[in-house]
Amino acid sequence: MRMNQEEQCDSVQYRIMLKISGFWSRLWKGNPPDLALTLVGLIVSLLMFIPISYVILQSVTAGSDRWLRLLDTRIPGLLYNTLTITFATTLVSIVLGVSLAWLVYRCNIPGRKLWQWIFALPLMLPSYVGAVAYIMVFGPTGWINQTLGAGASPLNVYSFGGVLLVLSMFKFPYVFLVVGASLRRLNRSHEDTARSLGLNTWGTFWKVNLPLLRPAIGAGAILTALCVLSEFGVVALLRYNTFTAAIYYQMAGFDRQSASILSAVLIVLTLLFLWIESANRRKQRFYQISGTYRAAEPIDLKSWRLPGLIWVLCVFLLSVLLPLAILFYWTVQGVRLGAIGGNFWGYTVNSIQVAGLAALICIFLALPVIYLRSRYPSVMSSLISKLSSSGYSLPGVIVALGLIYIFNNYIPWLYNTFFLISIAYVIRFLPQAMQYSDASLSQISPRIDEAARNLGLNPLKVIIRVIVPLISPGLLAGGGLVFVSAIKELPATLLLRPPGFDTLAVRVWVEASEAVYHMAAPAALLVVLVSLFPLKLMLSKY
Amino acid sequence: MFDIELQNISKTYPGATVPAVNNINLAIKKGEILTLLGPSGCGKTTLLRIIAGFEKSDTGQLYLADQLVSSCDYWLPPERRSVGMVFQDYALFPHLNVKNNITFGYKGEDREERAREVLELVNLTGYEGRFPHELSGGQQQRVALARALNRKPVVVLLDEPFSNLDADLTMQMRVELQKILKEAGTTAIFVSHNQKDALSISDRIVVINEGVIQQIGTPREVYQYPDNIFVANFVGRSNLLTGVIGSDALSVQTDIGSFKCHHTHGHQPGEEVNISIRPDGLELAEDGAIKGVIKELIYTGEAYDAEVTVTGKSGRQYDLQTHIHPEREVNVGSTLKFKILPEFVAVIRH
Amino acid sequence: MHFLTKNPVLLIAALLVLLFIAGCGGSDESIGSDSGELIVYSSRNENFVNDLLAKFEADTGITVQALHAGGGAVNRIVEESHNVQADIFISNDISALEYLRMEGLLEGFELAGIETIDQRYRAVDNSWFALSARTRVFIYNKDLISEAEIPQAIWELTDPVWQGQFAITRGENAGMIAHISALRYEWGDEQTAQWISAVRENAGAIMEGHGDIRRAVGAGEFAFGLVNNYYYHQQLREPTNNNVGVIYPDQGPGQMGAVVNGAGVAMIKNSPNRNNARIFIEWLLLPENQREFSYSSMEVPINPNIEAIGEAAAISDYKVHDMPLYQLGEYFLDTRRLIEEAGLDLDLR
Repeated sequence: MRMNQEEQCDSVQYRIMLKISGFWSRLWKGNPPDLALTLVGLIVSLLMFIPISYVILQSVTAGSDRWLRLLDTRIPGLLYNTLTITFATTLVSIVLGVSLAWLVYRCNIPGRKLWQWIFALPLMLPSYVGAVAYIMVFGPTGWINQTLGAGASPLNVYSFGGVLLVLSMFKFPYVFLVVGASLRRLNRSHEDTARSLGLNTWGTFWKVNLPLLRPAIGAGAILTALCVLSEFGVVALLRYNTFTAAIYYQMAGFDRQSASILSAVLIVLTLLFLWIESANRRKQRFYQISGTYRAAEPIDLKSWRLPGLIWVLCVFLLSVLLPLAILFYWTVQGVRLGAIGGNFWGYTVNSIQVAGLAALICIFLALPVIYLRSRYPSVMSSLISKLSSSGYSLPGVIVALGLIYIFNNYIPWLYNTFFLISIAYVIRFLPQAMQYSDASLSQISPRIDEAARNLGLNPLKVIIRVIVPLISPGLLAGGGLVFVSAIKELPATLLLRPPGFDTLAVRVWVEASEAVYHMAAPAALLVVLVSLFPLKLMLSKY
Repeated sequence: MFDIELQNISKTYPGATVPAVNNINLAIKKGEILTLLGPSGCGKTTLLRIIAGFEKSDTGQLYLADQLVSSCDYWLPPERRSVGMVFQDYALFPHLNVKNNITFGYKGEDREERAREVLELVNLTGYEGRFPHELSGGQQQRVALARALNRKPVVVLLDEPFSNLDADLTMQMRVELQKILKEAGTTAIFVSHNQKDALSISDRIVVINEGVIQQIGTPREVYQYPDNIFVANFVGRSNLLTGVIGSDALSVQTDIGSFKCHHTHGHQPGEEVNISIRPDGLELAEDGAIKGVIKELIYTGEAYDAEVTVTGKSGRQYDLQTHIHPEREVNVGSTLKFKILPEFVAVIRH
Repeated sequence: MHFLTKNPVLLIAALLVLLFIAGCGGSDESIGSDSGELIVYSSRNENFVNDLLAKFEADTGITVQALHAGGGAVNRIVEESHNVQADIFISNDISALEYLRMEGLLEGFELAGIETIDQRYRAVDNSWFALSARTRVFIYNKDLISEAEIPQAIWELTDPVWQGQFAITRGENAGMIAHISALRYEWGDEQTAQWISAVRENAGAIMEGHGDIRRAVGAGEFAFGLVNNYYYHQQLREPTNNNVGVIYPDQGPGQMGAVVNGAGVAMIKNSPNRNNARIFIEWLLLPENQREFSYSSMEVPINPNIEAIGEAAAISDYKVHDMPLYQLGEYFLDTRRLIEEAGLDLDLR
């Protein structure tokens, strides 16, 4: 009797297991990956989900009247402000990025090679430092007004135009770099064909190059837009109210729930942008360069050479020369006044520690996620990768608060350590590492993976011994980008740092908000210098 | 006795309505070169990948060298199977040189020795230090083959090995591949959609269409004794007719005439059958019984590919493919006389 | 080692582990139980606090770890309430202190020396108390406007004659919120709402912080501005643009008196270094340290017996609004709502 019952139990269990494994298999379209890989992927996405879950929790418990109040009074205005500045900045960045990339990668502007990496420099500068530089030059009590008299300044920094200018000057490199990379790979046969059909340079640009560049422009534009959505320092300094600024100030009023509601709206906006990005990516065709690839020769601009050079120089002046000059000036003052004290190097070490740790973690975590997405496409891997990208536009404040909530209550031994700051950076910047690594991985045929398995390596070893060496340039470039972004990060660092732990970015912010520029500048300059090597890593990808 | 056995292997991809492979039963002898031949999408690559372990079959058992490798409740992952695979795009590791590509995954002490041996086998001695991007297409293929053979697998699988090569190289590689495989004594399974490749190198051919095996046989059997119309059409070109087996059991009567054939493929006199006449079976003859009007002429250098219209007794018109010697003076519209050569007449089994 | 360098993946993994260990090791010191340490969260400008903390370290030998988190300090304290990290909270705003007390996050004691602080300026259970006064005043540029011309009462800011001539801070500013709470206490919600809308239209600029206002008024961008009193003292000490004066509003008979907020300190419940926190608080109540608290920011001590900086008016010198400071906590949320509805909170121009 008992035997029979056991058999029955067994068979029930067996059937359930069969159902579960069948379900799991179907979820992965019949090709489920290694358990270890899946686990890592799931852990990463769970980690990324922490801030969002915090936002959801708080907004859901906020009560409907608070929602209604915000929808009535605040959200429309913020939506208008945020969307207008995002679109405007993206548009201007596209114009700047495409025109400069065209001039510098395709035409015979003097000093092409130089400009190609100079225009990547604005990425190293924290944008709030750029804002300070502009205030100091163009502001009501700035140099222009002081030397030429009040009202002489051509630009009102504290206006939509001012914010637009500052943001565009420091975000256009995203478009510039992506479009530049595409231009470098353009096969000349396209242009030759256009020429043979009678199009001149200008016509070729509009009818042939521009359409071919659309995927790259789209990718750069989305990057820019997402960056603007999460921008904090510039809008705060220049007094322009976007969602991020409002959220930060809502926090200052102890009103975490209203802040979460606003964050929820911001997250929806981000998801919208991300959805546009993936739709754009799907439209990209992978050009099989069959036959020979011939690099195009630089286009001779002839009489347009000078105007082109002037344009390049203008942008160079505004986006690179001006901020750097101001930084140097104030650093000199600062050194003279003893700003480089004992604590200064401590801040530097702190910065490198947290940013470096974040970059390393991102290199490790990006790989499983993009590998799952590339080699095991399915609902699950798509979910994992979307969750992992969710931190892209979350305001730093929300990431910080979510982490505080979870870690303080449930993982206290990690709380109040600098490790938490690195985790915040990972949540915010992992998508960047994912993007670079993904670009590398998509160039490797899945047959390579299969060949390695066929030769006796299990899936994990395949990743370690074959995939990693092949995509290591992409991984490193991604890590470089994470480092550059992390070392400038402000709002999350402000909130998460343990007592006594300041980074260079925090020092810059604290000093700059009190207008103590001679203390802020050396820290800012150091941020720029420390970012040079990772930037080189990043650029080598291009 | 059999190196590889497939029993009742079926697979339907999730979301598909028809199976990719349907109830495949196949037994392959040791040292045999077998080709899975069929049009695109017929399931031959799926079958290859099931043997390699990159796809899981829904039903059925798979044995490699008498060892059960896949069944309903057991599945050996690809890295544990003794299978060598040569991919269509070779999939050489770009960051490793030839020697390291070949010995990749091999843990034995005699790596150097083995590499040298297998490179000699594929006629690439001295290429150890080169990198894949420094090799020509044919050389890359040989390295891929060497890599597959290095671990002395039970079977080597080759996926459309000639699709990336030009015509001359293909002809050369066909011979070479066969030689190398026979020398190594390894069982090999080719996947191809090109019947010329299949016919020239295989010991046996498996013709597949829509996931179902149409016929298994030697190249000669498949060519001369096609089991059904699909095989007749796919392997070599054929002119299809219907007819009745003659009373002497060595001829067929068709609408365009009666002619001898060398076998009736198991059919009895008086039975209605399908017949395939190969293009070479129509020969120009002054006393030929078949009169045809040339409809189309395509000069190929070696011959004219001609389409000839023949009117049958019933009045129906048949367009038959044939070859005409390039020196003949013929034009579209000329009327010519043909006779049928019995060795090119095949009675189709079904 | 050779094996490590050959495989870059392992190298990176090793680096990660090293960094992680370094990190964990470093922070262990701050998590201890009464380990000769004091953890202080502060929302004040760090320059005003660091000297005080350094003096405490020198006097007692207890190491101080300070987190200068601005507005974020309160949120952190609230979020950390299940696993308290901080011992002491130094705030530039009484509303924050009272808010924390109302959330049950503070701890009150019988403290030696607490009677030197007027009851109006401390919590009912002594869990927080103010140490320095932040009185709302008008700072004015003497070149642009004279003492006679400048408005003498807060309500006068609604007069269109002052259109574009003065600067205020945004509604989110703690000082502003406290001031408006006092106005609600005095006038009621309706009149206060009127005041807010009128001032919003009238102001020449709505700035981020009082530091911006004092610099702008000193430079002559605006005739006057609404700030806390110590900003006047600070601007006076600038090398240039320092020709500024100060008016304590609403001093006339029947007028409400100058509104006072304060900076103060609180003891956090269940803190890791409770004893050291108590030592700090009682140390702070000593006259010399009460002075030290206000000194670097040039605020005026709440305790009128403590000497203030030169030209500063002691709190007993002028008429003060009679609202007990702890009311600020109760008023806080509704005041914010009012400000939000009027649209003043986010405005910046």
